[in-house]
Amino acid sequence: MTGLVWLCKRETLRVSKLWTQTVLAPVVSSMLFILVFGLSLGGRIKQVGEVDYEVFIVPGLITMGMVQAAFANNASTIFQARFDRYINDVLSAPMKSWQMTFGYTIGGIVRALLIGISLLVLAVLLVNVPIEHPFELTLAIALGLVLFASLGLVVGIYAETWDHTSFIQNIVILPLTFVGGVFYSVHVLPSPWEELSHFNPIFYLVNAVRFGFLGESDVSVWLSLGVVAALAIPAYAWAQHLFSTGKRLKS
Amino acid sequence: MFRDDTPALELRGLTKRYDDGTLALEDFNLQIHSGAFFGLLGPNGAGKTTLISAVCNLLRVTEGEVLVFGQPHDTQEARSWVGLAEQDINLDRFLTVRETLEYHGGYFGMHKDEIEDRAEEMIRAFGLTSKRDVRAPKLSGGQRRRLLLARALMHRPRLVILDEPTAGVDFELRQELWNYIRRLHSEGTTILLTTHYLDEAELLCEEIALIRGGHLIARDSADGLREHFGVKRLEDVYVKAMAS
Repeated sequence: MTGLVWLCKRETLRVSKLWTQTVLAPVVSSMLFILVFGLSLGGRIKQVGEVDYEVFIVPGLITMGMVQAAFANNASTIFQARFDRYINDVLSAPMKSWQMTFGYTIGGIVRALLIGISLLVLAVLLVNVPIEHPFELTLAIALGLVLFASLGLVVGIYAETWDHTSFIQNIVILPLTFVGGVFYSVHVLPSPWEELSHFNPIFYLVNAVRFGFLGESDVSVWLSLGVVAALAIPAYAWAQHLFSTGKRLKS
Repeated sequence: MFRDDTPALELRGLTKRYDDGTLALEDFNLQIHSGAFFGLLGPNGAGKTTLISAVCNLLRVTEGEVLVFGQPHDTQEARSWVGLAEQDINLDRFLTVRETLEYHGGYFGMHKDEIEDRAEEMIRAFGLTSKRDVRAPKLSGGQRRRLLLARALMHRPRLVILDEPTAGVDFELRQELWNYIRRLHSEGTTILLTTHYLDEAELLCEEIALIRGGHLIARDSADGLREHFGVKRLEDVYVKAMAS
């Protein structure tokens, strides 16, 4: 287990050494969303259901900041390690493949949690966001982070250039997050957009997290958690498969 | 001293075909006894680095068996016995000299107290004391090469694999590295060295294997090779072997 502990430490150390990029920048940009969208548009939209608009958008923005960080962190750490080939130091070490997968997953999760906690503290201070269902909230965040941290690893392992990692981030994850109900309830969308939103996995994650914070959700929280779990488990298994077989990691 | 009867390294029918179809090693057999200083010579593309990567679990073996001190190379035990200094500098850009050694020790299962002492010992031995808190990208080429070797030796491996360790280094550093490698060998560590420098192979290695196109052409001491090929210089052995 010593190797696993040191790999986790290394991945966490990377996050802390680059804290202005890894934590501060995403916190600042998410806070700008809360200030710009919440406090300015909030004057016009007032409420979504029973909740003030500036409070309504907080769970989605925290989710967005966290999942993007989990993905980006792991995609870049593993790609960099492959690109510079210092991953060989880990691949040749007497560690089991599950320890490598777990160790490399941790960095993204730690980074995302640091961002999430910072945003939560700021959101409580600024708009007094409540936490109605802490258990469901914890579960939703845990599953969401496993999903996106694992996807980051998979993309970082398959990527051949830096552009590939940013392509997935900017062309897939970011748009899906924006149309996943971060800024609105899908009930306000006309048909077929409301129905189509149900095919977006991030919609379920945002709603599970929103339920944890506000006690409100566009769909059942258990359906949301089920969908996220059904994606997180195979995503992690995929990353594990790559480390077990050495596919894309070893020539 | 680690000398015993079990070979330090045994390759049985090792074959590696890359995804693009290139056959880098074909039915390759080799045995290196424990405590040996063994040299691997061959032109670029001969299969030297492929062989080393197979031993160190850095590639997927197509066929065959690799045993390290009698254990399959992919077992935890066998992995902990091998130390590798690769041909290209592959240091973690986020870590300082001290951290590079400490994290390597951690990956290889060393205990924390032992890690700190050993890292300091390696830093001193390789003349990196003034650079201990400097990150790898800020080091000079020679310092990086030294750190690479220090990292390979950090966990006290029984089999040290050096893939062209003196490629592109100046005369003084080459002498320094040779002295360290010789001392290591005299303490009983098995050394597998690949090099393009024939003088280096002759000076350091007790036995030399010549490989070409993924096949073993010949193996013997430098004198034995000269006698076998009927020439006076190792350069001529090399030329004859590669032309045959």
